[in-house]
Amino acid sequence: MHIPDGILPAQVCAAGYAITGLATWYSLRQINRRPDPAAEVPKASLLTAAFFVASSIYIPVPPASVHLILNGLLGVVLGHFAFPAILIGLFFQALVIGHGGITTLGVNASMMGIPALLAYHIFQLRNSVGKPLAEPTRTGVFAFLGGALGLGIAALIFLGLIIFNIPAELDAGAEQTAVLALSLSHVPLAIVEGIFTAMLVLFLRRVKPELLEG
Amino acid sequence: MRLRLKFAWLLALALASGAAPALAHGVTVEHRQVSSVELQARFDTDEPMANAQVLVYAPGNPTDVWQQGTTDDQGRFSFTPDSSQPGTWEIMVRQAGHGVLTTIPVADSTSGGEPTATPVTVADTGANSLISPSAALSPVQRGITIGSVIWGFIGTALFFARGKH
Repeated sequence: MHIPDGILPAQVCAAGYAITGLATWYSLRQINRRPDPAAEVPKASLLTAAFFVASSIYIPVPPASVHLILNGLLGVVLGHFAFPAILIGLFFQALVIGHGGITTLGVNASMMGIPALLAYHIFQLRNSVGKPLAEPTRTGVFAFLGGALGLGIAALIFLGLIIFNIPAELDAGAEQTAVLALSLSHVPLAIVEGIFTAMLVLFLRRVKPELLEG
Repeated sequence: MRLRLKFAWLLALALASGAAPALAHGVTVEHRQVSSVELQARFDTDEPMANAQVLVYAPGNPTDVWQQGTTDDQGRFSFTPDSSQPGTWEIMVRQAGHGVLTTIPVADSTSGGEPTATPVTVADTGANSLISPSAALSPVQRGITIGSVIWGFIGTALFFARGKH
């Protein structure tokens, strides 16, 4: 779901970098307000490694195959660390694996990072909206929602970006059908990532509950 | 498919000769051999990029599309570059927001010989033309690079975990 170089016009790439700059500034400011900003860096660093590798793991969804993104998972587990983690992970993916590109790094980071921040806030809702539910169910359900919606919103942003930036020379109808099919194949992936997020969060809750407090 | 193509070809001939199609039934076919370029687009999972749209741009004219088409089931597309326009032809293959822009050099034909075009395989559409280091790396080199990056992340984690104590 990474947008490679040369697909989007220069203005969109520049706007992507601007939004990424703002979101990074916001995330770093929130991190800096914590009593010990460096305390969560080990967790963030390990999950950045997981994010980096995840895009090489392909899941066949007929007729195409999609790869894991894990942006919702990062948002749920890392909170405000998710945005810098995704930015760094995407940078290395562009350089080493060839997913995405340097000119579109800003667009990709906004597309995956901002839904990750939303996923974090969805997960936080478990303490307000989710009150009526019993405890392990509550955490699991909201972790699933965060993981699945984080990816779902990113797929919607991807769909919008591509559909509104089809060059005039291309057959717009065929391209729209193709991109719609690709986005639809992310629905099962969102469910898989939601379940994966819920499993990881429930595991962390059992072995190291303080990791989920941040 | 073949039948339909043949029909289109005859129709084109008739139109080109400018004669009324119903009056003359004599058909002449002239032929000459030309060099064409075949390219194949694949995703980096080695899956062929079927039915992707292909745009061909002639040298020196990056704004107007010279030829347009789609790849077949195997991700293949071929076209015959105009030999009177030697230079670098640009090909864009694109599908569902994935794509690649590649260049194919076509040699000058003024030397009298047949125009020669270098066949190029467009691979690795996950990578792109601006940075595609992964296409040039062997699997071992790629594995080592990925491993080094992961070790960098783990090292960062260990460093900050140690600082807490």
